[in-house]
Amino acid sequence: METRETFAGLETWQIVLWYSLIVVSVAIFFFGVARLVLKYRRGRTHTVIGNRLERAKNAARIIATHAWIRRRDPLAGLGHLLVFYGFLVLFAGTAILAFQDDFANPVLGFDFWHGWFYLGYSLFLDLFGAGLVVGLAIFAVKRGILRPFRLRYWRPVEPTEPLRDQSKRYELGDWVFLGSLFFLALTGFLLEAFRIAAHDPDFEVWSPVGWLVGNGFIAIGFDGKAADDARFADWWVHGVFALFWVSSIPFTKAVHMLMAPIGVAVKDERAGNRLPPLHADAKAADVGYAFIDALSPKHLLDLDACTKCGKCHAACPATATGYPLSPRDLILDLREVAEGSMGNRAALGIPPRFPEHAEILGTIKPETLWSCMQCMACVEICPVGIEHVPIINQMRRALVERGEMDGQLQQTLETIYTSGNSFGEPKRKRGRWAKDLPFEVKDVRKEPAEYLWFVGDYASFDPRNQKITQALARILRGAGVDFGILYDGERTAGNDVRRVGEEGLYADLAEENVATISECSFDRILTSDPHTFNTLKNEYPQFGGSWNVLHHSQLLLELLERGRLKPRKGLGYRVTYHDPCTLGRYNGVYDAPRQVLAALGAELVEMPRNRDNALCCGAGGGRIWMKELKAEDAPRPSELRIDEAVSLSKIDYFVVACPKDVTMYEDAIKTSGHQGEIELRELSELVLESL
Amino acid sequence: MCVKQVAVLGDEVEFTADERDVDPDYLDYALNEWDTYATEEALRLCEAAADGEVVVVSVGPEDAEEAMRRCLAMGADRGIRVDSDAWLDPIQVARALAEVVRAENPDLVFAGVQSADAVQAATGTALAELLDLPRVAVVTKIELGDGNATVNRELEGGVLDVVEVDTPALLTIQTGINEPRYATLRAIKQAEEKEIDVRQPGDLGEPAYQVKKMFVPPKGEGAEMLNGSAADVAQKIKEIVEEHTG
Amino acid sequence: MSVLIVAEHLRGELRPITLELISAARELEGPVAVAVIAKDPSALTDAVDVEGVNEILSVKVDQEEFENDVYQQAVERLIGQREPQVILLGFTVNSMGYGPAVAAKLGLGFASDVFSIDGAAGGPVATRAFYGSKVHAEVEFPGHDRVMLLLRPTAWPPAEGAGSAVEEEVSVSISGSLARHKEFVDVATGDVDITTADFLLSIGRGVGDKENLPQFEELAGKMGAILSVSRPLVDQGWMPNSRQVGQSGKTVKPKIYLALGISGAVQHLAGMKTSGTIIAVNTDPEAAIFSVADYGAVADLFEVAEELEKLY
Repeated sequence: METRETFAGLETWQIVLWYSLIVVSVAIFFFGVARLVLKYRRGRTHTVIGNRLERAKNAARIIATHAWIRRRDPLAGLGHLLVFYGFLVLFAGTAILAFQDDFANPVLGFDFWHGWFYLGYSLFLDLFGAGLVVGLAIFAVKRGILRPFRLRYWRPVEPTEPLRDQSKRYELGDWVFLGSLFFLALTGFLLEAFRIAAHDPDFEVWSPVGWLVGNGFIAIGFDGKAADDARFADWWVHGVFALFWVSSIPFTKAVHMLMAPIGVAVKDERAGNRLPPLHADAKAADVGYAFIDALSPKHLLDLDACTKCGKCHAACPATATGYPLSPRDLILDLREVAEGSMGNRAALGIPPRFPEHAEILGTIKPETLWSCMQCMACVEICPVGIEHVPIINQMRRALVERGEMDGQLQQTLETIYTSGNSFGEPKRKRGRWAKDLPFEVKDVRKEPAEYLWFVGDYASFDPRNQKITQALARILRGAGVDFGILYDGERTAGNDVRRVGEEGLYADLAEENVATISECSFDRILTSDPHTFNTLKNEYPQFGGSWNVLHHSQLLLELLERGRLKPRKGLGYRVTYHDPCTLGRYNGVYDAPRQVLAALGAELVEMPRNRDNALCCGAGGGRIWMKELKAEDAPRPSELRIDEAVSLSKIDYFVVACPKDVTMYEDAIKTSGHQGEIELRELSELVLESL
Repeated sequence: MCVKQVAVLGDEVEFTADERDVDPDYLDYALNEWDTYATEEALRLCEAAADGEVVVVSVGPEDAEEAMRRCLAMGADRGIRVDSDAWLDPIQVARALAEVVRAENPDLVFAGVQSADAVQAATGTALAELLDLPRVAVVTKIELGDGNATVNRELEGGVLDVVEVDTPALLTIQTGINEPRYATLRAIKQAEEKEIDVRQPGDLGEPAYQVKKMFVPPKGEGAEMLNGSAADVAQKIKEIVEEHTG
Repeated sequence: MSVLIVAEHLRGELRPITLELISAARELEGPVAVAVIAKDPSALTDAVDVEGVNEILSVKVDQEEFENDVYQQAVERLIGQREPQVILLGFTVNSMGYGPAVAAKLGLGFASDVFSIDGAAGGPVATRAFYGSKVHAEVEFPGHDRVMLLLRPTAWPPAEGAGSAVEEEVSVSISGSLARHKEFVDVATGDVDITTADFLLSIGRGVGDKENLPQFEELAGKMGAILSVSRPLVDQGWMPNSRQVGQSGKTVKPKIYLALGISGAVQHLAGMKTSGTIIAVNTDPEAAIFSVADYGAVADLFEVAEELEKLY
């Protein structure tokens, strides 16, 4: 009969002991988990998580296929796939056995764990167990030998007291985690091997690994009673260690097994591109995240979901250029505070300790928070759905509330408050660019138009960008598009004001703009500024303004496809395209500009970091209004990007689709020393040239 | 603490029919920059003393209250507005403020050195005279003592004059004395709950001056381009520099 | 019209503004009296004795340096005695401390930051700026027999030529000074205040590399200019923020602003466009700086800089 005895060689008291240990282990496990849940519930900011069924299904799919984990590192993805399914299958195996022994058999009198079922079960578990070991080996090679940048714990900024540099502890924890899983797999396989060596049932060839090793033992004469004694000892070692391991889950890296799937399920799919508004009667103390318990439960959970994979650290443009910011370190530091104030570490009294209402501003340095370009590279790549950008934004709101900001930023906000734009130009000058055109640009406040073109500050006031705005106007006119602008009725759309954390000013701007736009008669809103595009599309509905918003690359594509724009000649240029953060990562518009370039007959050569992996120019998150925070000798993100483009060799044009990119990259071309090697063109300029 | 909502003119301008003032359509309004420093200084002194009240006073029409709200949002306790829509000279403004300020019986009175629109730099000192208060103009540092204060007066060229002034006193505050705190828009909106008391002005007397005619100063039409080689350009630049220095 | 000028002095030296006031007074074609209020007026009377001054009124006081109550009382007494039609002070920190007080007390006509006076009509008509110097206006003083004007420094040239003024000692009893001078503190010579410079040589991104800075510092020194910069150089850390001209730096109004390699971003223009004479050199003919410049050259700034160096 193909089966095996579950508690072979155990006396009754030992079985009782075993079950008692199970109870203890599970109790500790639940205690730990309960403490974590209590910690999350302390979060004072309420977020609504809707569509739970949809979310669960979606998360199940993502986790099952490892879609997020496999990104940008297929090898690690494979490793995790093997470990994940290996662990699941082995765990399920034990569960099936427990079900059989503790329920099906005694209660239902039903015994299925024998015969073909048993053989299939054995084979399955062995294969997946082997897979688990291979996966662990892959991870060990990655961490130990390959050592990519993202797995190294180098920090761009030292932690603030009482936080300490945890690199050594983290590294130890990582290896212990791998080692402990390996140990479980090892003792598990040995268990099989010893059993086979002791009894040598021939059906056990269905446990290939155990069969091989077991026969190896037999070959060296280690069989019979000796092997059985070894099996008995190993059974206890494996069993107790497994129970210990289970009870330790809430207290170690293993906790990501629980929190990561939840993180994936509850991730705000609009994180970053749609930030939460502030309550009208919010008091100063309620604004933003100044204290650890101000975080939403979701964000507190995020802190525990982090597996220290370092993908955010590797993707961050600030980290790459010596800014005092690493998204990974931010999350881990916050985790330390949360744990030390409200979590398991607090419960166990292990330092560093923090008071329950611990202040995080200060522990996280303001320059760390101000370094963020809000480019979403971190959120985009995180395999467990951590929302770094909204967390940073909330902390910025608290800083702004306290007035703790760069003098230049303060000046800019005050300028925006008084003149409605970040340049301090009088309102009347908004439409100035239109006066140089050979035709009149409609005032959409006075006449209806098909498109309400919300121009934006940089496109309206900055001389280099004004040329592009004029180019676009000419294109639209030539294509017979009916458009109008708001002239001096336009205020800055406020995307970056919100990202900087001045929520009150943002709400004021949004309300004003919504009121102005609502008075107009139009079909769709057009904008050539992706920042404006983002906020008008995703956030203005919070203020009562829901419209169909289009970025000019999308409209240009439509016009080209419908033949309303006919390029007279194909531009044979070799170009590379830079995806603006707020168009690409924020809103998923990657193809429209590329299709436009294709329609113009340009040869597109992709930079290594493209689409969702594009490197931010460094202007976002209000950074263009703040003083430089990067390391002195480090290149700027925009300079790194130009280097990347130039390395593609013989590129005629660096193509952008955002006014701030125009400003940043025109500068970068000069300061990176590549002037003359590459030139910048905005999408509209190329379209105009081809007509 | 006396503040003013000043008018800000952009690059374009048109005048009223009588050519004595700028067409209001071309004006934006904001709190006078000097007053943000004065407010910040007042708040700091009260915070350091852990006691005290900062009252902001202004002469102007109803929308001048917006500028006052900024001060209230920064932390001032309450405001008083003397209602007036007329064009007033600094001495008339001082007269409008005098009665209100005197009734408050303040320990210190602050004003900005000058307003960004009229730049007369006179209201503060004139007010001090009407209140019969000791005064120092263009102050960049204040240290309170017993019955007096030691202040720095910033002279031209950066020289500082250390002055001991009896208190209560009126001080006109210069920019750069501190870093004014930022008032979030949320704080400004919530400052609407703080009270602003409105009073009517008394007799403001005869104006100290009257505008006869206002006009745009003549300005050259774009840059005169210097042509030729680098050497030519350098030579011309030298000539221009010599012409305009001395 | 009869004019009373109040001389300004600091640490024993007459300040140039006094001579500028005399130039202005001469335009008004009437008797001009200059009041010297000091501990030792005789040390300054020679300096104010220039062509055009009819009388020098020496007022001896106990205080070594300027104190506003002292000047206020002395000037009020002099106005009461001499009954001048026009009282001229400089638009200076000292005058701000007492001028308006005197005007308020005596009910004088008043205008400050005046840079042109027309004495042709019955009373003076002064020209001053409004709305942050964007517009000018002529102001008059109907109903005022006596007018106090604070004149803008450097708007008039300093008066020259030997004079033959009659000196008179006037005694004024000063009853207590409530704001007393203690001492002077000189500003640290560590860094320069670009806002008080007459001539700024300003460099921008066009200079390319940090290593090129010393060349321009030298050139500025030779030309008698202070070196200032646009934002990018400060961002790079090559120069301190105190040297930055622009919206996020300082607003400057020197007599001459020579901009080399500055394109003229809106934020930069905001900080310098009201300068006296603006000369811009840039390789880009469309550079925005040319829209505010008085003189421009489309040239390579290094070549021009080299040539300038040869000339100085």
